[in-house]
Amino acid sequence: MVLPLRNKAETSRAYWAFVTPAFVLYLLVFAFPIVLSVVLSLSNYNGGKMFGGEPWTIVGFQQFEKLAGDPNFWLALKNNLYIVLISVFGQIPLGFLLAYLIYRKIVKWGEGWQAILYIPAIISVIVLGIMWKLVFASNGLLADMMNGMETNAFTAALNHVLAGGFNVTDDFVRQLVSIADPKALQTFANPIPDLKDLILTGGYDAAHLDIFRHDMVNLLAPKWTPDFLSQQDVAMIPIMFVTLWCWTGMYLILFHANMQKIDSQIIEAARIDGATEFQVMKNIIVPNLSGVIANAAILCIAGSLNTFALIWAMTEGGPMNVTQVLAIYMYQNAFIGAPNFPLANAVSLSIVAFSFVLIGVTLFIERKMGGKVE
Amino acid sequence: MKKTIASFVGKGAAYAVMGLFALMTIYPVIWLLVNSFKSTADYMVDKVGLPHDWILSNYVGAWTLGTFGTLIGNSVLYTVVGAAGIIFFSVLAGFGFAKIKNRATGPIYGSFVLGILLSITSLMVPLFLEVSQIDKVLGDFFHMLGVMKAEDFHLFYNTRFGMILIYIGSGLPMSIYLCTEYLKSVPDSLIEAARIDGAGYFTTFWRIILPMSTPIATTVAVITVPNLWNEFALINIIVSDNDLKSLPLGILRFSGSMSTDYGKQFAALVIGMAPMLLFYIAFRKQITKGVSGGAVKG
Repeated sequence: MVLPLRNKAETSRAYWAFVTPAFVLYLLVFAFPIVLSVVLSLSNYNGGKMFGGEPWTIVGFQQFEKLAGDPNFWLALKNNLYIVLISVFGQIPLGFLLAYLIYRKIVKWGEGWQAILYIPAIISVIVLGIMWKLVFASNGLLADMMNGMETNAFTAALNHVLAGGFNVTDDFVRQLVSIADPKALQTFANPIPDLKDLILTGGYDAAHLDIFRHDMVNLLAPKWTPDFLSQQDVAMIPIMFVTLWCWTGMYLILFHANMQKIDSQIIEAARIDGATEFQVMKNIIVPNLSGVIANAAILCIAGSLNTFALIWAMTEGGPMNVTQVLAIYMYQNAFIGAPNFPLANAVSLSIVAFSFVLIGVTLFIERKMGGKVE
Repeated sequence: MKKTIASFVGKGAAYAVMGLFALMTIYPVIWLLVNSFKSTADYMVDKVGLPHDWILSNYVGAWTLGTFGTLIGNSVLYTVVGAAGIIFFSVLAGFGFAKIKNRATGPIYGSFVLGILLSITSLMVPLFLEVSQIDKVLGDFFHMLGVMKAEDFHLFYNTRFGMILIYIGSGLPMSIYLCTEYLKSVPDSLIEAARIDGAGYFTTFWRIILPMSTPIATTVAVITVPNLWNEFALINIIVSDNDLKSLPLGILRFSGSMSTDYGKQFAALVIGMAPMLLFYIAFRKQITKGVSGGAVKG
């Protein structure tokens, strides 16, 4: 090979001096923990001193059986797969599409768009998670905006009714009822007489219509209380949205940079021959980038199976575990309440195993697809 | 003619998609910034508009309550020393892998490349147990020698030293891969010339390899710095002492017990994102180049 081997011993000494520090750190941070998690997941270790403390032994696959029987584990796995799916089939295609729009100069100011869309990837997911929590909260920005729109629409309808004058007749009340939110009316046993009563006893008069308008909006306008993050069936939707929002810009940059390596003459020739933009994308760009796409998918799977901090900041896996993912399930078993370290280690191993299975599938598909393209 | 209309509509749609995405990216960030100047009462009344009175007291309050001075100092330490360590050890090992022939390169370098696929988050529980047990074993040993009480000894758990070592280890796989592939492209003749002049391997490393690695070191740095600065999962379990915590941990405190003090919470969030936004503005070109290599896990 490369260097003149004047002195074999010196060369070997130098090699080990260069490689050992990094390798020791690697063993400390990656290799030993994996070995430890294999051992502990099969044991009955329950915290405390591992050496010279309470004795513990290998007891077998109990923890894995316990995992398989725990509905919370399956819920965490299901939610985690949602995150993987939105990452692989959301971030990557969307990033690709946006990169293509810039690369083919279908939109101007490519640099500027890229610079903006990458911003979320550089900011701490803790900051972003809390920010989106404030947006999606039941009294948050989204609810406020939607309620503002509802209020405006209701006020317009109310003004229309009031245009006929302020006479508290049955007909007037009937009109109010017809524009009111059905849910708001549920508080009345008999909406029309009850509401009429309420207005008459309220002492409203035509000279102070503002007060009347304000009260009617509060009472009858539709209220939009999304509370996404605390409802069983929809709680994952904001989290998936934020996941998509956060990382798409990164894939945009990755794909755009690699598109620029493609010989543009091929594309120009294809366009002159009458190929549409879609055909160019499908037959030239995608095959040329198949390796990059596969790499992106692999890193994407590895990252999204380990998603933790973003969801921790948004919901802590709650309420009632509905937004649980594997890493949070693991964390809670190890550090919250009575620790169950063997179970947490079994989860840790499961995550590693799932990553490798999904990455294997990705490589297999890439090989198959790559074969077709050649 | 038909074609021009179609392409006009297509362009319109393209701008709409791009514009919507850009708006959704930038608006929440601006919303945070604007709300950080509102009083909590002001925010409760109007969440969308501009502040009634622009106030700075949120920042003053958040800064003292959150001890952000300490937290930012710690974050700078973890990030700078961690990134420097990652770069140094990666170039060192990369030189070995790329330019010195040894049969161990296959398995060792291979294990680093495999490590790119392992996320440290999935290993946080066994890693925590490992380092805390090492502390306990060493503590018992020093106790036996009569130096100190066993519980007082911490090498890894709840120390800056331990946190930095773990950070360096966690960043190594990707950066060793990048550095090794980069150093393979350095011409052998350069190194041979130095060797003929009588330079040993270490001199060659200091005089030639390290200076030549500036481009790849920059790439590793711009990718590593945001990763370390924003890291949460590990420091959350390795460090328990408030004086040793980093910025993300401090930000999270505001969404817990102080979650109804919106003014301070918004200020804390802005303090949390400002350093990396400035870093991004300063190094956008290099960051984009680093990301293009596909070297980021998302």
